[in-house]
Amino acid sequence: MEGLRLLVKFENIQKSFNQNKVLNGVSLEISESEVISIIGGNGAGKSTLMKILTGVYKADEGSIEINGEKVVHYNPSIAHSKGIYLVPQEPLLFPNMTIEKNLTIGFSKNKVKVREQARRLIKQLGWNLDLNRSAISLSIAEQQQVEIIKGLLRDAKVLILDEPTSSLTFAETESLFKLIEQLKASGVGIFYITHRLDEVFQISTHAVILRDGKVTLKGKINDFTKEMLIKGLLPLDSERSGNETFKKEFLDRSKEEPILKIQKLSGDGFKDISFDVYKGEVVGLAGLVGAGRTEIAEAIYGMNKVHSGKIYLKGKDITDLSANEKIESGLAYIPEDRFLNGIFSISSISSNVTAQVIKKHRFFIDKKFEKDITDEYVNKLSIKISNQDDEVKSLSGGNQQKVVIARILSTNPQIIIMDEPTRGIDAAARSDIYSIITQLKEQGYSILLISSDLEEIERISDRIYAIYRGTCQVCLGFDEINATNVMGAAFGTYKGSERHV
Amino acid sequence: MLKKIPKWNVVLLTTLLAEIIIFGLINPRFWNINILLNSFNDFVGIAIIAFFVTFVIITGGIDISGGSIIGLTSVVTGLLAQVYGLNIWVAALLAVLVGGLCGLLNGILIAYSKVQAMVITLGGMLLYSGIALVLVGFSGASTYEGISGFSQEFINLANGNLLGIPHSVIVFVVMLLIAYVLLHWTRYGRYIYLTGINQNSAEYSGINTRKIITSTYVLSGLSAGIAGIILTSYLGSSRADFGAEYLMPILTAVVLGGTLITGGKGGVVGTALASIIIGFLKLGLQMGGVQTQYIGLATGMLLIISVAFMGGQKFKLNVRRLLNLKKDRGGNLNA
Amino acid sequence: MAHIKEVKDMSKVKSMTKQREFRTLVFLVLLFVIVGLVNADFISSGNILNATKNSLLYIVLAVGMTFVLLTGEIDISIGAVLGLSASVSGVILRDGGSIFLAVIIAIMIGGVIGLINGLGVTKLKISSFIMTLGMLEIVRVTQVMFTNGKWVENLPENFKHISRMNMFGINVLTIIVILAVILIHFYLSNSRKGRYFAAIGDNEDGAVLIGIPVNRYKVIAFVISGVLASIAGLIFASQIGFISTTAGLGIEMTVIAAAVLGGVSLRGGIGSVIGAAIGAIIMSSINSALVFLKVPAFWNSAISGSLLIIIVVADALIARRANNRTRKERLNARILNYKEEV
Repeated sequence: MEGLRLLVKFENIQKSFNQNKVLNGVSLEISESEVISIIGGNGAGKSTLMKILTGVYKADEGSIEINGEKVVHYNPSIAHSKGIYLVPQEPLLFPNMTIEKNLTIGFSKNKVKVREQARRLIKQLGWNLDLNRSAISLSIAEQQQVEIIKGLLRDAKVLILDEPTSSLTFAETESLFKLIEQLKASGVGIFYITHRLDEVFQISTHAVILRDGKVTLKGKINDFTKEMLIKGLLPLDSERSGNETFKKEFLDRSKEEPILKIQKLSGDGFKDISFDVYKGEVVGLAGLVGAGRTEIAEAIYGMNKVHSGKIYLKGKDITDLSANEKIESGLAYIPEDRFLNGIFSISSISSNVTAQVIKKHRFFIDKKFEKDITDEYVNKLSIKISNQDDEVKSLSGGNQQKVVIARILSTNPQIIIMDEPTRGIDAAARSDIYSIITQLKEQGYSILLISSDLEEIERISDRIYAIYRGTCQVCLGFDEINATNVMGAAFGTYKGSERHV
Repeated sequence: MLKKIPKWNVVLLTTLLAEIIIFGLINPRFWNINILLNSFNDFVGIAIIAFFVTFVIITGGIDISGGSIIGLTSVVTGLLAQVYGLNIWVAALLAVLVGGLCGLLNGILIAYSKVQAMVITLGGMLLYSGIALVLVGFSGASTYEGISGFSQEFINLANGNLLGIPHSVIVFVVMLLIAYVLLHWTRYGRYIYLTGINQNSAEYSGINTRKIITSTYVLSGLSAGIAGIILTSYLGSSRADFGAEYLMPILTAVVLGGTLITGGKGGVVGTALASIIIGFLKLGLQMGGVQTQYIGLATGMLLIISVAFMGGQKFKLNVRRLLNLKKDRGGNLNA
Repeated sequence: MAHIKEVKDMSKVKSMTKQREFRTLVFLVLLFVIVGLVNADFISSGNILNATKNSLLYIVLAVGMTFVLLTGEIDISIGAVLGLSASVSGVILRDGGSIFLAVIIAIMIGGVIGLINGLGVTKLKISSFIMTLGMLEIVRVTQVMFTNGKWVENLPENFKHISRMNMFGINVLTIIVILAVILIHFYLSNSRKGRYFAAIGDNEDGAVLIGIPVNRYKVIAFVISGVLASIAGLIFASQIGFISTTAGLGIEMTVIAAAVLGGVSLRGGIGSVIGAAIGAIIMSSINSALVFLKVPAFWNSAISGSLLIIIVVADALIARRANNRTRKERLNARILNYKEEV
């Protein structure tokens, strides 16, 4: 790429959150007219890197050069003025303002001029956006279009697109790609964050693979094949050796009746999902964020509507029961966002643990019973607390998660759906959770494990179903589970895909 | 949760004792137990509504319609008993039920349409006091004099004594006990807290939060109905504008009592102590020769200062919560 | 081409009808037309001007309230601020002070109270409801202390005359207030900084991200609300001619109801001063409409209350349906090879 001006240069960027090293010496550069795809699993550091570029986070180590100048004091508005613009996955528009107002707010330029420029841009792009519509009425694709225009109006030289196609339709994706081509031709450099490997080959000039905060692969797109990219995404064997393995054995289940049977389930965000979970096994639901796994889990649990299909629990049809009735029949769910949906932060540990089990009591709360139950689970799950009456928010993330697990175990469920159970907790607690899962399995509980951590799901599941863009086309049996297969299935490239359907 | 609130209750109790001592030093008549007990008549209405508004605020809502439900129930009692000749106790019971219905309307609209409680109960406030005015208007009774001529039996409800203890004190204690047991001893009470702390988590735990939320407004409406009956009995007449000035004192009692305006934390003991503090403050100032109009200065200051004090902790909490969130994100990186 | 233009115009009309202000205006017009059909005197220009004049107080307060509500906060101290500043300036005028001095003092009172409210909310992190509730009580007592619990009477004739001045047969104050509302509307909807108020209430994180000084604008909103409450106090004093100790008592709830009726959201971010002003006119016209309909005035409160509930709940349900639809579309767009089922 000689002759093209260098726009941004990262040099040995490091960044930690608490003790968690998220970026570990990333060096990267982008020049005019380049489209660099950044690929990586969940937690690889893609978003953090881009947030450092836009001034939202500050790097612990390393330097950034923009247009050949090293930046020292850096914040989002300086980033804007230097022509760096991030189009977030979830656009941060002002929902109650019109598009026009969203485009012009916080802009010191003459408004009439801005509006004219916006009109010209929209026309040039061939989009159909009415500036008078309010942002709340826009589809996510249209919101992204607004964000992109916002960036272009600010004469963005480097545009960052964070999984822009994750909720776009096919036609919308096509028109976005056309735009990217146009931008490329006009000299804009683009960082394109994505999970979809097909798209990488379709639009980018370069590909970069991030894994565990490091660049594991980088180069011109023509030098790569899909298989090479998948390989770059896989963890190195040497790093895994320290971890304990979990006992798994193959059992012939064809004679048994499944505990949970999902039959051609469809709803908002997923279609025709079928799978079974048998007694005493851990079944993984693998896939990337946004693939539709949480939507499936919530539909099974009764929080979201089911359009068609059936859910059977021990042969009983529970499709149309309320969440409350499903809990009673033995279904339990640990939600993904612990803080939003899991814990009662300013309530005591004991009332968190007993929030569900007190239902079995008629009217009054038995404090002794509460204390005993809490003691029992604090011991069983080795939850580290100093006092039952402490607020749950005083505990660490891992112990909070154990409290949630205690809460649902106290109702004595048949099957437990765990949605990202190790999200945001430290390594020690993580392995605690793994051993809890294994213990539960040994005690005969069935577990449906949803996780974006493909390594985790590979290690503890007996069988894995892969969800890719709202559909389930791959089931990996006991002997098919390995890193390559799981990764391929999650990215929708697993060879066996056709066979299962 | 169980640690901090009693601490606040201790502060309130100390304040109350200090108040009694200081006012007694200024005017020894203040130490006359009968005078103190009789003063309950002046704030028992505020207190019993405040007990159940505490429930509402713990769920994360607010109810500002209590005052106007007092007026409505007062009018309903008067009309049914004096104009339509119903037995006074039946009339009173029906009136309390009307209060409950008002609360039910508030509750259903808030829990199911998810419009802010403030807006709905503001509409309710206008509506219920409006209905009271309409009823008075149709009955042909004078708005200013109201409907009077209640039986001595009914007048005794608020003005009588039992073994020397004024009925209003008994009502206060009984309602406090009911509220206390419901909120702190039952499963229902626990659900109220859980709903207020995190409605999502409560839903995921299989708690029907809409029902819980609705029920707190019903309780608040019922208590306003009872307050309406007591006030009608105490003053010996029923008027539509009874309770019109109760809005601020009710909320002051709840918030001063240590209940978080954002929900999830609080208790009725604090509310009870706070309402006694405010009631005695009024009495003490009166006896000290200060006009009762000035009491607002003290309650207003108390309100702001106490919330600023509690808010200091909430502020810290928010900071910590933000950090926690970031940690969560950092660990998993929504990449 | 012509077709496209037509579509564009249509969508403009459509987006206008979608605005709450527009619907409130239609409601106001309907109110006048229907009452006018029963009693033609109601739509005489005299009565309409009179109705507007009577609602001036509410309009001014509602405009101030809108600033605060837009940022997602609330100010319920305005009734007391109105009372205090009316009393103080009334006493100044009664004792022979100049009108100029009275106005300046009144505005300062409102400004200082607003500033305290704003600092309490932004610095001490007290919820605005509690902060202004406490302030309401304090200011109310200050008024009683200042006036010794007496009414302020015998205001000079030249001051009372201000509210009665006419220009081209229209009340001068009315003209000023209406012009001011229009100007403020343009400030809030079109100027760079004016739009920050709504942006803060709309998406506070987003506002921080584009560099809006959120706390400063919140304080400014409270100051504006306080100052406008003081101005309302002056209008009150001039119109009524005396100030009772209960002047403005409970008016904050009517004003909030008026603003909400006019499409201002208590969650912040939505609403305009024109809508709030129309809401204020509706709230104060219901009374006179009842008189003209020969309906007893005691219906007033019941009607405004049910009106408020019905309109707000209907709006919420419509909005929720729209939200659910977009959420669904979003989720389904992710599904591989998803085809819209028709």
